[in-house]
Amino acid sequence: MNSSQAADVAPIRLEGIARDFSDGKVLRRVLKKLDLQIFSGELTVIAGPSGSGKTTLLTIMGFLLKPSEGRIFIQGREVTRFSSDRLATLRKQKIGFVFQQSVLVPALTVLDNVVLPFGVQGQPVPKPVKAKARELLEMLGLKQYAGAMPQQLSLGQQQRVAIVRALINDPPLLLCDEPTSALDAESSAIVLDTLKKLSQDPVRAVILVTHDPRVFPFADRLLKLEDGDIVYDSKLGRQGEQVS
Amino acid sequence: MRRRTGFKILRHDRSTTAGSVLGVVAIVFLVGQQLAILFGLFTYMSVLVDHSGADIWVLTRDVEDVNASGSLPVRYVDRIAALAEVEWVEPLVLGGGLFRSREGKVQPVQMVGLPRPRLENGPWRFSEGSLEVLLDTEGATVNNLDLKVLGTPGLFEFYEISGRRIRISAITRNIRGFAGTLVFTNIEKAREVSGLPPGRCSHIILKARPGSDVTAVASVVRTLLPATTVMTSPELSASTRRFYILDTGIGSSFGFSVVIAALVGIIIITLTMSMSVLNHRRDYAVLQALGGRKRDILVVVFWQALMIGLIGIFVGFLLLAGFLAGTRDSRLPSHMPLWFPPLHAGITLVLCLLGSTYAMRKAVRVEPASIFR
Repeated sequence: MNSSQAADVAPIRLEGIARDFSDGKVLRRVLKKLDLQIFSGELTVIAGPSGSGKTTLLTIMGFLLKPSEGRIFIQGREVTRFSSDRLATLRKQKIGFVFQQSVLVPALTVLDNVVLPFGVQGQPVPKPVKAKARELLEMLGLKQYAGAMPQQLSLGQQQRVAIVRALINDPPLLLCDEPTSALDAESSAIVLDTLKKLSQDPVRAVILVTHDPRVFPFADRLLKLEDGDIVYDSKLGRQGEQVS
Repeated sequence: MRRRTGFKILRHDRSTTAGSVLGVVAIVFLVGQQLAILFGLFTYMSVLVDHSGADIWVLTRDVEDVNASGSLPVRYVDRIAALAEVEWVEPLVLGGGLFRSREGKVQPVQMVGLPRPRLENGPWRFSEGSLEVLLDTEGATVNNLDLKVLGTPGLFEFYEISGRRIRISAITRNIRGFAGTLVFTNIEKAREVSGLPPGRCSHIILKARPGSDVTAVASVVRTLLPATTVMTSPELSASTRRFYILDTGIGSSFGFSVVIAALVGIIIITLTMSMSVLNHRRDYAVLQALGGRKRDILVVVFWQALMIGLIGIFVGFLLLAGFLAGTRDSRLPSHMPLWFPPLHAGITLVLCLLGSTYAMRKAVRVEPASIFR
């Protein structure tokens, strides 16, 4: 596969992405014209100190924040100028989120939370989707909690429910924001193992943002961000040098 | 799923939901109760006209309220009776009097004097006795709802009204006038009590022959008696109500109460629904992050508002039904015409949805990216 073909099938590709924030007086550039291509079948870890811009990068990749400059491609198709409604639909179809805290809707049962991305735009949730949700819950050892409320689960269990929710629409891209930061060592290991396994699917890319070095060994690719710039990419080496 | 989510959030957030429902109940009950009393007063205001069986009323010049006393020569009756289109015509005396109870307490009453033997415009519902008792020269009726304020007068006992002797010969059922207790008696007794000289009456009522045009007959009477006010029964009914609503301040007083009740309800709904959105900000951010569009968030909140509206309307109308049942046999006037409940429910639902628009705006403005903070 040549580089142009690879770019076309990449779950997400960023070109010259910059993001500015203003407090009304001072304009601050948080991301500095980044170019980045994510590959399927890999667990990409984005690391960096607080304020380096890693969460901003993740929100831009998840279309939750618009970049100030640059272009975004999803499977080779530019989506930068999509309306917010089209981006929402794209998010539903192409992206699964796992947040820092599980962020389940407390009013809904575990099963309802899991099928939420399917029905969030008003579609009825068919039985096969519910069956798939139960299967996924079983896969992560949560089958017996399908009818439980999120508050009845431990944080680790809630995070695994969030992973199941992220997978319900079979998205090619899984975005995880510090998914282990609120978990104990044992729960962290389970969650990371799960994400690692999911990333081995050749049609799926997993991106994990963290500042926890214990996560690095799970990475297929490690990116380091500092002051809004990628300063290290394990695929390319420091500042764009190809790593042999 | 959106409706289900909305409903589940409502159920999960019971105290806030209860607050919003309370707002709707406040609108339904308070507005409904105020208007039921107003409608009740409406029926009191024009009760004599609405139950008269007459087509046309002749009143003293410039009088537009049936309850206002006046003075007309009884000889007008003969002039009207000469018209070919008139089936019957009768004089009537409406005037005030003071009822003295056994204990000596005095209570104002409204006398309705009917000419014998026809007794047209007489009472139409009795608890005890019948219309014929008014053929007796001293016979009079009192109303069951007013017995207590009149000192619980006994049937067939003699009492005084403005110093004139009357005998309670019958008790009417739930017939009250706007000016208070209606005491039906014969025209001569009413004249004595209200101080109207012989040969005078306060009103003249007439029935047009079947098939004749009532408005045209009224016009003929108007030409015949230019120094009087002539109205058809519906005209006089409307004119009487208009007089009390516009000229006595009742309308503005009830209008103000209704507006305040509706405002309080809307404010409660707005505050509680906004509080609910605030409490569930993170949930709405999650919904958007998972692919929810602005309109999907709107549907979730709209559905909540709709559910709150429907539950509140149901509870409010239950309370209102209780109020109406409780006041059916009381001196407090209350009446609800059949057209009112659906209209009231519809307007309340619209108010509920209006009250929730602020919450809807807040919900769609939640930044999905806030989930990462």
